[in-house]
Amino acid sequence: MPATEPAPGLLRGTDRAAFAVAFVARLRRAGLPAGLTETDDLVRALAVSPPASRSILYWTARVAVVRRHADLAIFDRVFATVFDGGPPLPLTRSAVPPNRRDDGVHVTVPGTGDEPAAGGEGLPWATLPTIVSAGGPSTGDDETHLPEPRPSALAALAASPFEDLDQAQTAALGEALRAALTHWPQRRSRRHSPDPTGRRVALRPTIARARRTGWEAITVVRERPVARPRRVVLLCDVSESMRAQAAAYLQMMRAFTTVADAEVFAFATRLTRLTVPLRHTSPREAVDQAGAAVADRFGGTRIAANIAALLDSHHGNAVRGGVVLIASDGWDSDPPAAMTAAMARLRRRAYRILWLNPRAGVPGFAPSVGGMAAALGFCDRLLPAATFADLTEAARHLRKLATARR
Amino acid sequence: MNNPEEVIQRLDAVDYLADDGLAMAIFLALRLGKPLLLEGEPGVGKTAAAKALAQALDTPFLRLQCYEGLTAGEALYEWNYQRQLLHIRLAESHGAALDDSSLFTTEFLQERPILRAVRHDGPTAPVLLIDEIDRADDEFEALLFEFLGEAAVTIPELGTFAATRPPVVVLTSNRSRDLHDALRRRCLYHWIPFPTPDRAASIVRRAVEGASDPLIRDACEFIGRVRGLDLDKAPGLAETIDWVSALAALGVTELVAGDVLRTIGAIAKTPDDRDLIGGALPSASPSAPSSASSSAGVGSPAGGPMAPPTP
Repeated sequence: MPATEPAPGLLRGTDRAAFAVAFVARLRRAGLPAGLTETDDLVRALAVSPPASRSILYWTARVAVVRRHADLAIFDRVFATVFDGGPPLPLTRSAVPPNRRDDGVHVTVPGTGDEPAAGGEGLPWATLPTIVSAGGPSTGDDETHLPEPRPSALAALAASPFEDLDQAQTAALGEALRAALTHWPQRRSRRHSPDPTGRRVALRPTIARARRTGWEAITVVRERPVARPRRVVLLCDVSESMRAQAAAYLQMMRAFTTVADAEVFAFATRLTRLTVPLRHTSPREAVDQAGAAVADRFGGTRIAANIAALLDSHHGNAVRGGVVLIASDGWDSDPPAAMTAAMARLRRRAYRILWLNPRAGVPGFAPSVGGMAAALGFCDRLLPAATFADLTEAARHLRKLATARR
Repeated sequence: MNNPEEVIQRLDAVDYLADDGLAMAIFLALRLGKPLLLEGEPGVGKTAAAKALAQALDTPFLRLQCYEGLTAGEALYEWNYQRQLLHIRLAESHGAALDDSSLFTTEFLQERPILRAVRHDGPTAPVLLIDEIDRADDEFEALLFEFLGEAAVTIPELGTFAATRPPVVVLTSNRSRDLHDALRRRCLYHWIPFPTPDRAASIVRRAVEGASDPLIRDACEFIGRVRGLDLDKAPGLAETIDWVSALAALGVTELVAGDVLRTIGAIAKTPDDRDLIGGALPSASPSAPSSASSSAGVGSPAGGPMAPPTP
């Protein structure tokens, strides 16, 4: 499909289809999910809007290809790599200067998975050194080589604190936690569906049935509101004081994302959204990507600032009417007043707030840490979270919320 | 409209100032016949863009406000059951025979916005705004696919209605929920950013009649700085327009702290924000004399450099 428009400034004499396919392929390699529809749109858009200037080309391509705000950054980067510096065409590999060939276009994003995990030494989340001895692969999803642990063995492990578990045990317990997350808090939605126990008469299906009975409504179809899962938002502290719990909490976050579509965030000094990386089907891949995404783990803690950041971001709407779980020990470098303000805002927006504290299970525990004491008044419950048994118990609490009334 | 510049001009004629990106998005949506999905912060003019587009094209404007539980009965069509039943009783009393074809006719069809857009038979295609699609649920999104893809609506009793002139469809979303990829795939997408103070000033100038020029410039500068504060709900362009209208209604010609405090309800929408903006006003402290609260001083609530004095 050669271009026939009178003298477009850029891409003169280019095969539009070939250009669009190549450009979209580059975007896709950089992590932008664009498919045939987008390519087709780009070809047709270039036909109706001949790219007379770089800015016209930019807007044409962006409107035609990008479908979500999060992808704009990738698009801008790839567009700049392709069209900045030097004439935009030809785009053939041989014409690109050898030092620029492919490396700049291959934008590294958390998602390609082929770059080494940050930190350099194996799994960044591991609290114990990775075992790569002669015993063969022993981590992550290569568990087929491991003997299957008996359920009783898992049950005994569940009661031991996180720091005593090795990586394989943590992963196995994480799987067990996923299986335990069956019931989920629900809310009544405004959508109705036919149900014989309902109160409201569903007019449309009732009349449709009456067609068969001479227009006399003999069977009355009733409907009732559909229950939908409540939104759950999980905030996990990965600062230095929570180092021992980080690996286990990562498993918990993964269980929540995959089972329940929860929004999960990790924070130390800043907030990182882990919902997308952790949804990966391969547990090992998910953990690797999440590790690469969190740049500030094992640093200081700013709980209040991170809660405020969550509420200010557009994910703040996910909190509305949802259940919020905060997993942290409450050591906060922000002043308690900031914590009070942030928690008050969170309280107004959320349906329930549960706080998981790894120290809360210790006998004689008192929430005397400044941040924890300030936050406690806004929490519905403070639950211990030092072992997997505790986490399963917390999941059971969520189940209770399913029926509880405020 | 033949090129994006013409889109800008035509929208300009109806007092909507579009930037290059939005103009390109609208132009492509019109030419490719695809729905346009507009996202952006609340109050950047997503809904206004659709309204202005209808005005610029001089076509009817149809609007569907989304909410959870929205069904086909409210979005596409509904049968007028009461009239159908009356018709049946009437036929019974006359002893006339009845069949489906006499009950399921367009006479008993109640059109809802989407079907109305499809069946519109004016000289120009109407503009259909599906507002705040993120407030509807997944089921409603699925309901839209046939319409968005083929500009057609299927009614089992009557058949498929295809639009003679496919309507111009604009969807808006505030991103309170992630839209399904299948919906995004069917639309062109544009993210409307918050305008720079200069652009905001020219937009407000069009929207508010009788506001003085220095007032508008200072107000937009002020809003730009307020947005830099740590607010619960940052004021958008719609709030700016409201606020300048409020100031103009009070007969204010230059921005001074006292007037900001009196009209603060137009830009601060929570008690915390009111206190924060009020506290950031330099002349709000009792030590500062009120005469010193010039327009330039008010323009720096964050304690930044003073704005140059306006002539």
